[in-house]
Amino acid sequence: MSLLQEEREIILSNEYVDTFDFAEVEEFVKNASKDLFISHHFKNANKMLVQPRGGFPTYEKQFALYEFFEKANVDVLPLTIDSNTRLNDYATSEKMLRLSEENDVDMLNGYPLVNHGYRTTRKMITHFNKPVSLRHGTPDARLLIEQAIASGIFEIEGGPITYLLPYSKNFPLDKAFLYWKYVERVCANYSELNEPINRESFGPLTATLVPPSITIVIQLLEMLLSLQEGVKSFSVSFSQQGSMVQDIVTGAVIKKLAKHYAQEIGCGDAAIHLVYHQWMGAFPTNREYADQLINMSTVIASMVGADKIITKTCEEAIGIPTKEANAKTVANTQYTLRILNGLPSVVDEEEEEILTLEVKAIMEAVFNDSADTLWRKVFNSIKNGIIDVPFSPHIINHNEMITIRDAGKNIRIINRGNVPIPERCYDFEKSKCDLSKDTTSIVNDIVHDIGIMQ
Amino acid sequence: MKVVTGVVGNDIHVVANRLIDLSLQARGFEVFNLGVNTYLEEFFDAAVETGAEVLLISSLNGEAEGWGREVKLLKARYKNLDELIMMIGGNLTVGSGNAEDIVPKYKGYGFDLVCHQVDLNTGLDQLEEFIAQRKTQ
Repeated sequence: MSLLQEEREIILSNEYVDTFDFAEVEEFVKNASKDLFISHHFKNANKMLVQPRGGFPTYEKQFALYEFFEKANVDVLPLTIDSNTRLNDYATSEKMLRLSEENDVDMLNGYPLVNHGYRTTRKMITHFNKPVSLRHGTPDARLLIEQAIASGIFEIEGGPITYLLPYSKNFPLDKAFLYWKYVERVCANYSELNEPINRESFGPLTATLVPPSITIVIQLLEMLLSLQEGVKSFSVSFSQQGSMVQDIVTGAVIKKLAKHYAQEIGCGDAAIHLVYHQWMGAFPTNREYADQLINMSTVIASMVGADKIITKTCEEAIGIPTKEANAKTVANTQYTLRILNGLPSVVDEEEEEILTLEVKAIMEAVFNDSADTLWRKVFNSIKNGIIDVPFSPHIINHNEMITIRDAGKNIRIINRGNVPIPERCYDFEKSKCDLSKDTTSIVNDIVHDIGIMQ
Repeated sequence: MKVVTGVVGNDIHVVANRLIDLSLQARGFEVFNLGVNTYLEEFFDAAVETGAEVLLISSLNGEAEGWGREVKLLKARYKNLDELIMMIGGNLTVGSGNAEDIVPKYKGYGFDLVCHQVDLNTGLDQLEEFIAQRKTQ
C-alpha cells in the first residue's frame, strides 16, 4: 500500500466518519455525470460562469438555498463550510448542527459536511446535477476534501498560503504545506478517473490593500505546488481592487504568467482558468449602493475576461445573507452579463510591464532560495519577508510592506520591506503617490483607502 | 519609550492593530506588537520581558469587557508592574454603550487611560499627555 493510501486510511478512520468505502467512492467518481465537473463546463461554456457564496447548517436549508439558486439560473453552486469544521472541531459542529435541527435557528455559519457525511450530501449534489465548489478556509482539509469529493463536489478552493495567512495567527505554515500536498495528490488521483477535479486558489487574501504583485506571486506559487502533484485543472483568482485599470492589468499579467510558469515546470497541458471575486472589502450598508457596487464588479470581471465570477449580496455589510438576497444577485449578475456586449479592449502597456517585472523578480527570489523543494522555498520566502501580505494576522508574516492608493485608486507600494521589488518599479510606484506626508496623515489615508466603497 | 500592544482575546481584527503599530512608531515609541488574538497573560509576560513602560490593549469586537474584569487580579501576580501605564482602546462593549458608563468601569478594572470609540490620533495624544504629566510629578 502506498504511503498516501496509508495516510488516507488513518485520516478516514475518524469517529465522525461512518465507514468510508474507498472502492464505492472511486466507482462513483468514475461514473459521475460530467455536469458535476466544473472543469467540463470551463471547457464547453461560452460564457462567464456565475457562482454565489452560501452555506447553512441543516440539509433542508442548504437544499432550499440550492432551489433558489437554480431558479436564478446559477452556473456553479457553492458549499460554504462552518467555522468549527474549518478548525477540525467536529464535536462542536455536531452539537451545533443538532441544536440547529431541533430549534430551527442557525447555530453554524456554514454546512458541516463532515458531520452530514458523504452519503447524505451526495443525494443533494446529484439531485441538482450542477458543479459545486467547496468554500472553506481550512489549513488541514484532508478529511473535509475526502468527504467533499465522495459527495460529488469536484472543485476544491484554497491552498496552504491563501487559507492560512488571512485567517490564522498561530497555525504552523509548514504543516499547512504538507496537509495541502495531501489534498493535491488526492485531487490528482481522482482526476484520472473522469474529468479532472478543479483546484482554485483564494486570491483575495486579506482583501485589504494587497498589491497585485503579491497577489499574483501567491497565485502562481499555489498553482505550481498543485500542478507539481499532478492536478490538471486549476483556477487562479483575485478580487476587485478598487481601480478598473489595475484590475485589467492584473488579469492580463496573471493569465500570461500562469501559462508561462506552468510550462516552465513541464505542466503546460494543465487547464488554467481565471476567477474574479466581486469586491471583498468593506461594503456599504445601504443596499441600493451595495447592488450598484456588485453590478460594477460584474462589468470589470467582463473587462478582465474572467472565466468565473464569485458574487456578493446587498446584505454583505449586515451579516450572513438570506437565500432571497443571494439568489437575487445571481439573477442580476446573469442579466448584466447578458446585456454586456461589444466591450472595448483596454491595454496599459507601461503598467503591465512594471507589474510583470515585479512578479518575475519576486518569483526569481523564491526559486533562488537554497531549500530543496518548492514548498520549502516558499515557506522560507514567507518567513524572511520576500513575500509579505499586508494586514495578515499570522505571526510568520513580516508586516513591513506598506501600501496606499494613488489618485486613480490604484494600490501602490510605498514601503517594500524585504520584498525584492526592482528599483525601477519601486520608483514608479512611489512616483504615483504623495510621499511628503507624515506617517500620521498616511495612516489616515490608509483608513480612508480601506473604506473607499463605503 | 517601550510599548507593548495587541488585540485582546479571540478577536482577529488586524487592521487597527497594524495602524496603531505604525502610529506609535511614527511618534517615536519602540513597539512590541503581539498582534491579534492575545491573552492577558501574554500581555503581562511581554511587559515584564521587554521592560515596557506602556501597555496598550485594543479590542474591536468588545471582548475586552469580559477580559477587563480579570486585569487587577492577574497583574497583582506580577512583580514590578506597578508603574506600568495601562491603556485600553477601541470598541469596548458588545453591542452599544456610551462612554460615560464605559470609562469609569474600565478605570475600575485598573486602566489609566480608556478610549471608547475615540479616533486613533486623539487617543495617542492623550497617551503622550499622560506620560508628560507623570514625568513632572
